[in-house]
Amino acid sequence: MVNVSSLSNAAPMDTSSATPVSRAFKVPARATDGEKADTLIEIENFDFYYGAKQALFDINLKLDDKRVTAFIGPSGCGKSTLLRCLNRMNDLIDGTSVKRGSVKIRNIDINTRDVDPIELRKRVGMVFQKSNPFPKSIYENVIYGLRIQGETNKAKLDEVVEKSLRGAALWDEVKDRLHESGLGLSGGQQQRLCIARTIAVSPEIILMDEPCSALDPIATAKVEELIHELKKEFTIIIVTHSMQQAARCSDKTAFFYMGKLIEYADTRMIFMNPSNPQTEAYVSGRFG
Amino acid sequence: MSSASITPPPPKPPVQPKPFVIHKERTRFFGLTLDETIRAFFGGNAFMAVVVLALITIFLFREGSAFFGQNRASITLYRTAGLEYVDYMRAQQEGHTALTRYLFDIRLRAVRHLTENEALSVAEANAKLAAFDEFAGRYSDTIEPVRGFVSDLTDVAVAIKEKYTINEDAKTERAQFLATGMTAEADAVKIAEIDFKAELAPLVGVTPMYVEAANGVATAINDVLATAPALPVPSLESRMTRFKELNREYLATFPETQRKLETWDYLKPVPALDTVTGFLFGKQWLTASFWQDWYGLVPLFVGSLMVSIIALFLAVPLGVGAAIYINQFAGLREQRIIKPAIEFISAIPSVVLGFFGIAVLGQALRALSQWEALSWVPGFPFSERLNALTAGCLLALIAVPTIFTLAEDALNNVPRSFKEASFALGASRMQTILRIIVPASLSGIVSAVLLGLGRVIGETMVVLLCAGNRIAIPDFTQGFTAFVQPVHTMTGIIAQEMGEVVRGEIHYRALFMVGLVLFFIALLINFLAQKIVRKYRISIG
Repeated sequence: MVNVSSLSNAAPMDTSSATPVSRAFKVPARATDGEKADTLIEIENFDFYYGAKQALFDINLKLDDKRVTAFIGPSGCGKSTLLRCLNRMNDLIDGTSVKRGSVKIRNIDINTRDVDPIELRKRVGMVFQKSNPFPKSIYENVIYGLRIQGETNKAKLDEVVEKSLRGAALWDEVKDRLHESGLGLSGGQQQRLCIARTIAVSPEIILMDEPCSALDPIATAKVEELIHELKKEFTIIIVTHSMQQAARCSDKTAFFYMGKLIEYADTRMIFMNPSNPQTEAYVSGRFG
Repeated sequence: MSSASITPPPPKPPVQPKPFVIHKERTRFFGLTLDETIRAFFGGNAFMAVVVLALITIFLFREGSAFFGQNRASITLYRTAGLEYVDYMRAQQEGHTALTRYLFDIRLRAVRHLTENEALSVAEANAKLAAFDEFAGRYSDTIEPVRGFVSDLTDVAVAIKEKYTINEDAKTERAQFLATGMTAEADAVKIAEIDFKAELAPLVGVTPMYVEAANGVATAINDVLATAPALPVPSLESRMTRFKELNREYLATFPETQRKLETWDYLKPVPALDTVTGFLFGKQWLTASFWQDWYGLVPLFVGSLMVSIIALFLAVPLGVGAAIYINQFAGLREQRIIKPAIEFISAIPSVVLGFFGIAVLGQALRALSQWEALSWVPGFPFSERLNALTAGCLLALIAVPTIFTLAEDALNNVPRSFKEASFALGASRMQTILRIIVPASLSGIVSAVLLGLGRVIGETMVVLLCAGNRIAIPDFTQGFTAFVQPVHTMTGIIAQEMGEVVRGEIHYRALFMVGLVLFFIALLINFLAQKIVRKYRISIG
């Protein structure tokens, strides 16, 4: 956890007098710009606690279907926590609780008692910061999600493996060694294997928690390219520390600070013309 | 050159160079600097283990290796004194005794059947079996001629052996006198050279008569069998048929025995390898006998193995199950209670566990086994209070903490990210445990089990107190009842007999050989466990 008080002391937040931002990167125009998207996830008045410590304060957010949304903000601002609330991964941590508000996916509140978190996670997949393939073969890694659902049809499994690995742009690199250990791949390949594993269970939403933070620039570029491809089929929510990545990949960006949602708008808006001075300070690199 | 007129600057005062001290420290202990001394101390500690291991191995070998020479001498005497010859005949006699026992068993079953199923009184049942009794009596008498030979010749052989032993003692005595220079006393020691050929003449001489007697026995058995009466219990007829079959097999061994007796040669040398195989695969551990001592490892090894199997059979599910529960399910409070409790078990002195076994567990298990509702359990009911099962249960208790602690460590070493990834793909907690966490830590768990086995194999006090200490290979023909028979173990026999043997004698050496085998088993188990753990570290990557 970042010591929040020292952060705010070190970085003055009243930046209204700052000069207009000049950036080293551009926000590219996209085909989907200007198109109206449906709302898939709706977060309303959401408060979240780790034990007695409040981590998220009154979050209100509507995330679009078949779009890439980026969560940015300094470490400890709650963006990963919010991401993990979307498939209830926080259930695994002792003492966490939702005290107020709701997260609705397709108008279903996922925190009610009759929601099975296991079913939820089949629909909302997740890719982690550090690539974490299982100590099994590449093939077994990809079909793990189907295996636990009881799928045994060999032909079906083979088909899914090829489709998922192609979807993760890994097929050509590994098709000759599907039965070798997934741990033998390079870091970038491992991360794409994790993405393949996630899309193999055909979720609707893929959550990515800093998926490129442990990768070199070339592997990062491949994963980003992949994100563009994936958004045709999946809704992607990505947490990132790299402003450039957020600018390059996402359609919309949400900026968090100290557990609060500060600003949420089109990526172009956030980076070119943020309405909030804190956002302005963060994206221009003056703090965080 | 034009600067001649310029006055040279005043000469600088010479700068004293700082002392350039780069010599080693002068303080020395035994010619070493302080750092080197400390290093040597640590290094010595580290090498201690290797030295101790080497010393133990050398010591065990030194004490044990003379066993084979002594054993060979013992077996040679067994042959030259004619004991082997008599044992051929005895085997024939014992074969017959076993068959007679089989007949008694049939009678026992018949009486039980008659009294229970046909509601006859014991007297009536006995009356019904009169014909059978008469037949059994005649059958058991058939061996009498052979029995007479065996008991006579046993005395002869023992007398020869005795003579030889006394003679050997006299030789030693004389050598001792000579060594101290007491020639007169040495000459006074009488040594009679034994002419084995002459001594054995009465033995070998009876061969033709014995063979004749044995053939007589064979004919008598056939005659008696031909007049076997019908049993009053029809359901036992199949056993009677089996009895006749066994008799045919028994009689078929007669020519072989005859051949052995006729070709027997007291001078035939004993191959050196026989002493090794006789130790490793010998089925008898028989000591302090008037006849012949045998040092066979098999009964003890089987005992140790059975006790260990029972212990692991109980301890693996308990230890691994508890480790999985504590690591994956238990809350903090449960962990705080259960973990120290399990680890405390290993602090209980094993002799206390042994007391517990004798005083409580043995009784309790026997009572449990005689409970009607549990009669389906293989081996139940049993009557021996102290047996392999009792000892195995207590050994399981000893192995559980080892297995639990190491297995829990292995489970703990599975990266958290595996678990998260599995959950994120929609796996339930059970699926995650069974498909990811346990397989990823499997080699750690296997090595935990192996180390538990090492602990169990080496445990002495519990088996000495609770295993029943009967030196015999359990009877496996009855299936699982073998596991509720008393056994003796390798560790137990060393603890029990080491105090009573004469240093340097064959029995003493034999115990060292058992220790050596034990040592190598333990070494092998630990080596395997280490090997597996190393592999496991790599696989987690």
